[in-house]
Amino acid sequence: MASSKCRCLALNAKLTRVTTTLTRNLRWALLWLCATAGLGLLVVRFDIAERREAFQAEARTAHRLLSQRAAQHDAILATLALLDPAPSGDHPSTRLPALYPQVLKVWRRGADGAWPEPSLASAEALSRVSGRPALAAVDAAAGHYDLVLAGSPASFALRIELARWVPWAAWPFAREGAVKADLVHGAQRLMLQPGQEATGWRGGVTPGFVFDKALDTPSQPFVLHVQRATGPAGWPWARLSALAAVLAVMVAATAALQGQRRRRRRAEQLLRLARTSRLNALGELAAGVAHELNQPLTAVIASTQAARRMLDDDPLPQATLNEALTQARDQARRAAEVVARLRRLVERPGDSAAVQPTALGDAVRGALALLQPELRRLALRPQIDDTRATVDADPVALEQILHNLLNNALQAMHAVPAAQRCLQLRIGIESGRGVLRLRDGGPGLTPDVLDHLFEPFFSTRPGGLGLGLSLCASLAGAMGGVLSAQNVAAGGAEFRLELPLTCTR
Amino acid sequence: MTNPLIHLVDDDDAVRRSLALLVGTVGLSVAEWPHPQAFLDGFDRESVGAIVLDVRMPGTSGLTLLDQLLAQGVDQPVIMLTGHGTVEMCRRAFKAGAAEFLEKPVDDERLIEALHECVRQHVRTRERLAADRGTRERYTRLSEREREVLSLVIKGQTAKQIARVLGVSPRTVETHRANLGAKLETDSLAQLIRRFAMLVEDADTE
Repeated sequence: MASSKCRCLALNAKLTRVTTTLTRNLRWALLWLCATAGLGLLVVRFDIAERREAFQAEARTAHRLLSQRAAQHDAILATLALLDPAPSGDHPSTRLPALYPQVLKVWRRGADGAWPEPSLASAEALSRVSGRPALAAVDAAAGHYDLVLAGSPASFALRIELARWVPWAAWPFAREGAVKADLVHGAQRLMLQPGQEATGWRGGVTPGFVFDKALDTPSQPFVLHVQRATGPAGWPWARLSALAAVLAVMVAATAALQGQRRRRRRAEQLLRLARTSRLNALGELAAGVAHELNQPLTAVIASTQAARRMLDDDPLPQATLNEALTQARDQARRAAEVVARLRRLVERPGDSAAVQPTALGDAVRGALALLQPELRRLALRPQIDDTRATVDADPVALEQILHNLLNNALQAMHAVPAAQRCLQLRIGIESGRGVLRLRDGGPGLTPDVLDHLFEPFFSTRPGGLGLGLSLCASLAGAMGGVLSAQNVAAGGAEFRLELPLTCTR
Repeated sequence: MTNPLIHLVDDDDAVRRSLALLVGTVGLSVAEWPHPQAFLDGFDRESVGAIVLDVRMPGTSGLTLLDQLLAQGVDQPVIMLTGHGTVEMCRRAFKAGAAEFLEKPVDDERLIEALHECVRQHVRTRERLAADRGTRERYTRLSEREREVLSLVIKGQTAKQIARVLGVSPRTVETHRANLGAKLETDSLAQLIRRFAMLVEDADTE
């Protein structure tokens, strides 16, 4: 039962962890999606505006070209009327189609002649009133229209083919492209190029680009209608995918950075917690010891004080005096027993199993990494001179020693100006032993402090327990090493940690 | 008056025994109590003396015991003993009504001085209590009219003024005053006022 419950709990915890990770990733994905959508929308809008501008420019060019050509037709008719070639024979007008490919046919009507088609006659009447060419029949299916200029003695008409009318060489749109172009005259629609029907993307989000403008020639009142379909197919997908990719990289990088920061923060918290709990345990132990010692001491003092008072009595109260002194002796023994018990408690058994080959340089760098915030606060860059030494050490004890030594060095440098601060770490082999020399730019150690440096309960810091260096020294001793200290002539203190080298054989 | 009795409450036998020896050297009687609850159940509340409490005891802590004693109306002064006295603990003890707060190991002079002071204080408290009780008992002997007269006398009014207020003759007032003196067992006006002024004021405001 218990084990299944346990398993269930473990599973639950795992599930929670997985869910948390998923939720976090989902949040990042959502952020990426939103950013891509937002910026993508902007890109699409700019792109559409740009293409609309280009389309309008092209449509204006097309309009100008067509207007020029239409004006040409007016000019041809005017020239014909002016020259009025002979009604028969080799009329120059028969050679016109060769000169102007868009002119399919030329008609001439003399004073007594008749038009082959009635529409030409009515157009001639119109032309005579307005004094300029007039449009006769428009044949949308065949793609041509007729233009008449009334004159005297003869009137002329031209049949113009649309396909040849358009100056394709200068035409801004691709003939088989997406652009649809028509000339609209009333209900009739003369197709210039089919393009794609741009009635709008389904849903009408983008109706497409539209250009509508009447040609500049009043004789040929066509409206140029140009339309280009737009829609998702026309979007700048390459740019959009590049944008999405860049954003994905950025979001992923941010997520990774955040994750790293979170992990580092958690590690720091754990470290702080461990340190605090260690201090709490130490405080608890100290309080317990204090009480255990205080009780017998109270009894000893009270008994001896009682005894001393009884000495003034006459006669001497022998029995009570005896009791008081016996009490004092017993309680003094009790105190001694407490001390002995405490010593047995803190005495570490020589645990050689924990000793393992350790690169001194790596241990130093590890300890420095833990003190990064403090180093930053002091604006201090440690100089490490590592000529490599692998020593036999208990990594935990070694870390504790290094942490203590580094911490002391940093503490010492709070008191000196920033320019004077320095931290030198030299690792190497000296006479067959692995040695770390740690030199700081602090005020150094006074002779008095040097004498008592490694004694327990000796501290120069107000409120300090005075156990740090004493612990370091005994930890080093337990590993067969030596910890010593001296002042440096240039100023500051140097601590020297010596440990046995690992036997390579 | 009985011989003052010091109650020592401490679970540590050696400490308690040593302190008992020390207190005994100045001629004070000592009752030793290893268990706080046994002390609370068994000690003589009528005796004159003081209580010495250890703060750190298993089960009932010294501070809790102090609260219980005061809640029960125990009037013996309490001296607290502690191995490690914090400012907070000290403040709590005095706020709760401890007479003295001493740190272990305790100095004999200070402990004995504190004990003497406590006993003196307790004796005074008990005497004042007894006197109060006598005053109250005598006051109850007075008739309604005599109490009225007493009240006015204490306010400093003359016999004539009192007679006018009460609507009686000055001679009747004089008679009441003589009776008052006899019933309250006082010889002078000054004595009368000193002993009964508070009591009469309390009675009048009720």
